[in-house]
Amino acid sequence: MSVTGLLFSGHSSCTRADTVVDRGIRRLPVLVTLFVLCAFAFFLPQPAQAQSPIPNAVPPTDTYSGPRVEQPIEFPHDVHVEQNGINCMYCHTYARRSKVAGIPPTSKCMGCHLVIATDKPRIQKLTEYWEKREPPPWNKVHDLPDFVHFNHEKHIDRFVLGNDFPVERVKEVCAFCHGEVKNMTVAEKSRPLTMGFCQRCHQANEGPFDCWKCHK
Amino acid sequence: MNLEMKRREFLKVMGWTGAGLAVAACDRPSFITSREGRNHVVSYLEPEEFAIPGVGVTYASTCQQCPSACGVNARVREGRVLKLEGNLNSPLNKGKLCAVGQASLQNHYNPDRITKPRVRRDGRLVEIGWDDALALLREKIGPDAGLNGKRFAWMTDTISGHQAVLVDALMESLGSNNHYVYEPINSAVWRAVCRDMLGDENPRLGIEKARVVLSFGADFLSTWGGAVSGSARYAEFRNAPRGVLIAAESKMTQTGANADLWVPVRPGSEGVLALGIANVLASSHGRDLSALPASVRAQIDAHDAAKVAGITGTSEEHIKRIAELLHERSPSLVLAGASAEGHEHGYDSVAAAMTLNLILGNVGRTIESSAGFPFPQLRARSGNGRSVIDFAQALEEKRFDVVFFKGVNPAFTAPAALRLNELLAGGPFKVALTQFEDETTLLADLVLPLYSSLEDWGTHVPSIQPERNFISIQQPVMEPLYPETRGFGDLVLSLLHMRGDKDYAGYEDYYAYLQHAFVALPADVKNSVTKGVGGDAAFWSAVMQQGVLEFNTATPAALVAKPVAFEVQAAAAEGNGYFLLPSANPNLWDGRHANLPWIQELPDTISKAVWDSWAEIHPKTAAKLGDVKTGDVLRIASEHGTLEVRAFVYRGMHPDAIAIPVGQGHTAYGRYAKGRGVNPYAILATAQDRKTGEPAHHMTRVNASVIRRADVTWNNGSGMDRLVVQGGSSTQVGRKLVVTVSADQFERTEGGRA
Repeated sequence: MSVTGLLFSGHSSCTRADTVVDRGIRRLPVLVTLFVLCAFAFFLPQPAQAQSPIPNAVPPTDTYSGPRVEQPIEFPHDVHVEQNGINCMYCHTYARRSKVAGIPPTSKCMGCHLVIATDKPRIQKLTEYWEKREPPPWNKVHDLPDFVHFNHEKHIDRFVLGNDFPVERVKEVCAFCHGEVKNMTVAEKSRPLTMGFCQRCHQANEGPFDCWKCHK
Repeated sequence: MNLEMKRREFLKVMGWTGAGLAVAACDRPSFITSREGRNHVVSYLEPEEFAIPGVGVTYASTCQQCPSACGVNARVREGRVLKLEGNLNSPLNKGKLCAVGQASLQNHYNPDRITKPRVRRDGRLVEIGWDDALALLREKIGPDAGLNGKRFAWMTDTISGHQAVLVDALMESLGSNNHYVYEPINSAVWRAVCRDMLGDENPRLGIEKARVVLSFGADFLSTWGGAVSGSARYAEFRNAPRGVLIAAESKMTQTGANADLWVPVRPGSEGVLALGIANVLASSHGRDLSALPASVRAQIDAHDAAKVAGITGTSEEHIKRIAELLHERSPSLVLAGASAEGHEHGYDSVAAAMTLNLILGNVGRTIESSAGFPFPQLRARSGNGRSVIDFAQALEEKRFDVVFFKGVNPAFTAPAALRLNELLAGGPFKVALTQFEDETTLLADLVLPLYSSLEDWGTHVPSIQPERNFISIQQPVMEPLYPETRGFGDLVLSLLHMRGDKDYAGYEDYYAYLQHAFVALPADVKNSVTKGVGGDAAFWSAVMQQGVLEFNTATPAALVAKPVAFEVQAAAAEGNGYFLLPSANPNLWDGRHANLPWIQELPDTISKAVWDSWAEIHPKTAAKLGDVKTGDVLRIASEHGTLEVRAFVYRGMHPDAIAIPVGQGHTAYGRYAKGRGVNPYAILATAQDRKTGEPAHHMTRVNASVIRRADVTWNNGSGMDRLVVQGGSSTQVGRKLVVTVSADQFERTEGGRA
């Protein structure tokens, strides 16, 4: 790799699009093969899920009916999660590493959809974005005010990774706050995500109760 | 359904139904800042492995807020820079960063940035594309323009590193040597004295090695010689055994406010005070003066403590006490700053102060050579104040056809008496390389918008090298916010390309040039970084990561003191009005930070005033002017103009002086700076120091009168109808916040002298 390339690769935020594009396209065949193999692993029939409750957890029960948020592509969560059994954290990969779960990078979508369902209009629209080298401008569904700091990593750790709960069933924990996304097409807000909602859950699950845990 | 809850509603709920219901209100969703369904969430197209949304990445770069060149670490998240801190690798600031450096972010995200090139058409600046802008430049300075290089001038702020090399190359290509390096706040007279008496213009000052420091207005904790490194040395100086700090000045500076002994000096008599101290050192403490020229010895002999007390207004006892401390506590360090420099005899006053260092044997102990930086072409071209006077003179003589400005705002900082605005308006073709629409930019014929310091490449060499010689690296920490702005280095390089310069033809952009310059460094320099592992790529990556490149250079030869002859005078006697002191404000600097709200909001270290100008006067002066109280409006008039400004009555002033901080009073420069406070530069006289030609900014005489009382509503146009002072009181009102003990009691109970 050229020295210039090295430097720019050290600059995620400053990456000049052209350098990245070149490299991305060069590696594409390898990436595609890998993604297809991974994706097939996810499509294998899953063992019947144990319906045992989540240990050390009292799931919140509040519900809410949020407005339907229009998206540039009507992404079907149900097809991915329910029909194909893909783990939430396969796409929202940052949830266990960061305060935000992250919207999957477009390259991840294309990892499968270069070969899968390429005849579907939604995939063709996605491909158009990819070829324009632009991520789709998704609209926010779940948002909190700027003075509230919610941390995905801490919650995944509390209820899954540090709780001896199988990571394959993580969607049951995600559902605490996001509802039954597995049955939705475009995600909808189905929990109120108000301070009262947070407080009741923290009380029931003995979460921290200091003001500054969330308001900082 | 509107679920928004207003504050008033919330209070009503609290008032009527008590806390129980208020907690229930936690279930009402807040939409105050939530952007559900309204904001886009944009993902990466292809993520870098190390980039995790929500987790910051840090890049090393260099602060560009003042000429010091402190290293910074910038925390970047989701491609946006969020926070700056000092870079621990920098031998200059060692991980520290001042408030002004922190506010670089507001320089970068400022809503008043210029985003497209502009050209003057029919008297107005209109936006154009870069192609047109460069075509216009080609017409003016291109190879076929027929420009006589001598008729081209460039005014910049302090410039160093590879940017300086490129500017030099462009000037050479044009055949011009009219590079004016302008810094309104500088220590040019001090540098001249150091050059003449020590043979080194920028000696390293070992404040931390001194046991007593005497400062004649050298505000090393804020605006003199680099505040961050000065503060670090000061902290060490105050560690056990605790050094004693003495400040002798006409207006209390931040350094003066930290002094153990603060002595008010009549403006312009600092040199006389230095002679008086030298006299006591020789007569009472047996210090040897034989190395000094006879004329200097004669002046010292002629200034005994009693006479000096009469001239300077300092008590005889204080003069003797200062001499005693300097004699007893060796090594010491004597510094002189703006208030000593800013007179017609400024050089002589500073030379008298430096002579004290010679008498006390400080040269080589607390004053050391900072020579030895291996690449002289990269060294800083330090700015001075004289250049703007010379520039105005040249404009008057119509010597220029094309002038460039970068990093300077002479239309704001030059005294109005120089008539710079008038001379520029009718004069040459003016090109402003800038981020903001400041006063100078508004006069320009062509405006070229630059990257912010957080978007640009560069290298910087501090003028006073710390114990280890180094270059500080500036690299972009995020993508440019505006696609039609350009880097300074890129722009100069493209001008060199336009001129057909062969030496630089091979570099596509400034980044390529910088990288080549680093890779071409001698092998021993590269090996000192990589330890021989990895090639040029590893070296370049390591330099980028560290943010600095240090050089293992031999210890420079010891300084040899060469006393020079000088003739100290005091400023003319009373009777001509008050001295106007345009005091340097550590926050606003010369006015370049007035467009940063954080800095406007940051209280002045002495008056604690914000968002405005004020005039500091002594209570005696206040009484003389007619029982003036803080907040009363004064009219202050010099022969060059009049200012109306609120008074701040304060004991840290000499009664013969009125101090107005510089930096406010902009007539342009964006929404935060414009129309706020007054600009004392405007009414300064154009007198110059006789030896160096530096502006004698501290000798303008003014008359003052009170025109309105504090309780009468008066708006100076900035929307402020009173002086907002964030400090409540200058005393502790008996609350014992800081426990103090009188000197007498200390002597009695602790058995020592305060």
